[in-house]
Amino acid sequence: MVTEKFKFVLADDQKEALQEIANIGMGQAGSSIAQVLGEFVQLSIPRILVVPPEEVPTALAWNIGEATVSAVRQAFHSAMRGEALVIFGQHRCNDLADLMGYEQDLDHAAEIELLLDVSNILVGACLGGIAEQLQLNIGFSAPSLMADALPLEQLLQGSPVPWSTALLVEVNFRLETRSFACHLVLLMPDEEVKALMVAVDHFLESL
Amino acid sequence: MSASATPGLLDFVVDRLEVGIFVVDSGMQVVLWNHFMVMHSGRSAEEVIGRNLFECFPELPKVWLEKKIRNVFLLKNYAFTSWEQRPYLFRFHHNRPVTGGVDAMQQSCTFLPVKGGNGAVEQVCISLFDYTDTALYHRQLTNAIGELEQEKAEQRRLIDQLEDAQNQLLQSEKLASIGQLAAGVAHEINNPVGFVNSNFGALERYVSSLLTLIDAYGSADHAAEAPAIRQKIDYEYLKEDIAVLFKESRDGLERVKRIVQDLRDFSRVDSSLEWQETNLHTCLDTTLSVASNEIKHKADVVKAYGDIPNVECLPSQLNQVLLNLMVNAAQAISQHGTLTLATGTEDDWVWVAISDTGSGIAPEHQKRIFDPFFTTKPVGKGTGLGLSVSYNIIAKHNGRIEVESELGKGTSFRIWLPIKQKSELSA
Amino acid sequence: MPLSVLVVDDSPIARKMLIRSLPAAWDIEIAQACGGAEALAAYRAGKVEVMFLDLTMPEIDGYQVLETMRQEDMNCLVIVVSADIQAEAVDRVMAMGAIAFIKKPVDAAKIEAVLRQYGIWV
Repeated sequence: MVTEKFKFVLADDQKEALQEIANIGMGQAGSSIAQVLGEFVQLSIPRILVVPPEEVPTALAWNIGEATVSAVRQAFHSAMRGEALVIFGQHRCNDLADLMGYEQDLDHAAEIELLLDVSNILVGACLGGIAEQLQLNIGFSAPSLMADALPLEQLLQGSPVPWSTALLVEVNFRLETRSFACHLVLLMPDEEVKALMVAVDHFLESL
Repeated sequence: MSASATPGLLDFVVDRLEVGIFVVDSGMQVVLWNHFMVMHSGRSAEEVIGRNLFECFPELPKVWLEKKIRNVFLLKNYAFTSWEQRPYLFRFHHNRPVTGGVDAMQQSCTFLPVKGGNGAVEQVCISLFDYTDTALYHRQLTNAIGELEQEKAEQRRLIDQLEDAQNQLLQSEKLASIGQLAAGVAHEINNPVGFVNSNFGALERYVSSLLTLIDAYGSADHAAEAPAIRQKIDYEYLKEDIAVLFKESRDGLERVKRIVQDLRDFSRVDSSLEWQETNLHTCLDTTLSVASNEIKHKADVVKAYGDIPNVECLPSQLNQVLLNLMVNAAQAISQHGTLTLATGTEDDWVWVAISDTGSGIAPEHQKRIFDPFFTTKPVGKGTGLGLSVSYNIIAKHNGRIEVESELGKGTSFRIWLPIKQKSELSA
Repeated sequence: MPLSVLVVDDSPIARKMLIRSLPAAWDIEIAQACGGAEALAAYRAGKVEVMFLDLTMPEIDGYQVLETMRQEDMNCLVIVVSADIQAEAVDRVMAMGAIAFIKKPVDAAKIEAVLRQYGIWV
C-alpha cells in the first residue's frame, strides 16, 4: 500500500533509452497501421514525461489541440502493467471506415467498434514493439470506451488515477490523405514504472 | 503447455469448455470447431472442418470479419469484439427461452494469433463468449437509469415552479409590508409638512406686517404713523417669533428629508440582489426610523449594541426581516412597554435580538409562528406571512432565527447570521 | 585510409546501438551528429563518405537532409536507419537517393549485407 507520495525520477540515460525504445515501438506501430490501412502514416517523435496523475490532463491538453475528444482505454499486463489511452479528436476515425472493411455509413455502434479496433491495433503494435525491445512478455485486455465526445478536461475526472506517478509516453499518429489523427498515451503505476526501469537498465547494460 | 496435462485432457477441455472455440488458417478454412460451436450452430465438426468459414456461414459479415482476421495474421496481435457494439458474430439462440428479452445470444469474441516455429502467425483462434445475461442486466440498468433521469427532470421542473411561487410570495409580502409602512410613513411626513405649512401662513402674515411698517418708514407722508404701526404689529414679538418659526420649519423639513432618506435606504432597490458587507446597526437604525410611527407611542426603544463586525448579507431583505420583527414587537405591546434592540457576536456568527415587553406567545403557538398564513390576529389584520417570509430570508442567509417567549412577560426574537457566506453560496 | 562515417540520430542510445552493430573489422573513422543541421554541416565540409541517417529528428529531419543533399549533388552514400518502417517511407527515401533502408532495431547482419552489396566493405 503506497501511503506516501512517491516522486519518480528518470535518469538521463534511462530517459534516452526509453525514448529510443519508444521510437522503435511507435515506428512499428506506424508500420502496422500502414499495412492494415494501406496508407502512409505520419508519426510524431514520442514524448516521454513523468508526471503526477492529476497533471495528466494538462500534459495532454498541451499537445492535443481538440476541445472535444473520444478515448479508448486498454489495459496491458504480465511483465509490464498499466493502461494505454488512445485519444481521438472530433473526426474520430470515421474516415477510415472503408479501409477497415466497414460500409461508408456508420451507425453509432459501428463508429465505436471502429474506434476500439483502431486503438487495439495501435496499442498492440506500440506496446508490442516496446516489450520486444526490452524482451518482456505482455498481454492485453479487451479495449473499452472511456469517453465519447467529452471535453478534454473531463477525460480523467471520472476515473482518477490512483497512483502517485504516471509515466506518460505520448505520440501522435496522422494519416496524410485522410482526416484521421489520434494520440497514444501510456500510463503506468509507480511499481510498474520501477520494474520497467529495471528492464531499461538491462537494455542499457547490454549495449 | 503444462507437462502434467495430457493431450487427452487438453482436447477435452478445449472441446467442452462452455465457450465457443474455433480456429481458421490463412485461407479462412476451419481447422477446429468445438462442442459449443457445434451445439449452437447445429453444424457438426465434420461438416465444417476443412471448409471455408464464410462458405459454411454465408450470413457472417464477410468483408469486415475477414479483414479483422487478416489483421491478426498481419499484426500478430490480439483483436476483440464486444457485444456492446456488435451484439453477435453468429446468430445463435440464447438460453432464455422462458424469461427471454433479447432476440439472440449476445457475444463477445477474442481473436488469438497462433504462431508457428518461425514467429509468423499460422492460425487464428477465435473464442466466443456468451454475454446474454450481462447484456440483459445492462439493458435493465440503462432503462432504470433512464426512468430515474426522467423523474429527476420532472422534479427539477417542479422545484423551479416552487421557487417561482416562493419568490412571488416573498414579493407580495414585501408589497404588503410596504403598504403597511406607507400609512405610517405618510403620517410621519404629513406631520412636519403640516406645521411647516401653518408656520408658512404665520410668516406670510408677519412679512405683510413688516412690509407695511417698512413702507411707512419709507414714505414722507406716513412717517409719523410708523411708531404706532410698530406697536400695533408688536414688532418685538414678531422678531422673536420669526426666528422660532424658521427654526421649527427647518427642523420639520429636515425630518421629512430624513424620513425619505431612511425609506430609500430601507428599500435599496438598486442593489437588492447583491450580497454586501453591511453594518447591522445601520440597518437597525434605518428600519427603526422607518417604523417609528408604529413604535413611538407604544414603546421606549433601548439599544444595546455590541461590538460587531460587518456581515455579508442582502441588506434590503434583512431590513424587511427587522421591520417585520419590530412592528410585531410594537403590536404585541398593548399599552406601553419597552422595545430592546441588542446585538453581539460569537465565533463566526453575529446575533441580533429584538425583544419586547408585550403579551408574549402561548407555548402551543410557538412552534407554529413561522408557518405561512399562521396568525393570531383577527381577520383582515395582517397577512400572517411576515414571519414565514422572514424565516425564509434568514434561511437563505444560512442563519437561524430563534424565539423565546413568556405569556404576559414578553417575547424575544434572536437572529443568528454567519459573518461570511461560503463562497459557492453567495452571488 | 579509413572511411569517414557519420552516424546521424537525435538519440544517443540509437547512435550507440548502430555503432555497436557495425562490423568490427571495418576500417572507419566514426563521427556522430545529433541532428539534421549538424549532419549537413559535416557533409558540406566534405568530411562524410558514408552516412547512417535517422528519419525522425526534430527541426531538420532525415527527409530534409536527403532532399538538401540531393539538391547539392549528393556525393556521399546514405543508408537510412529508421523506426519508421512503412513501405512508403522506404520508397520515398530510396527515390531521394538513399542506397538502403535499414529498420530499427538494427540487425548487424542486415548492415553487413548492405555494405557488401554496395562494395563499401568486403
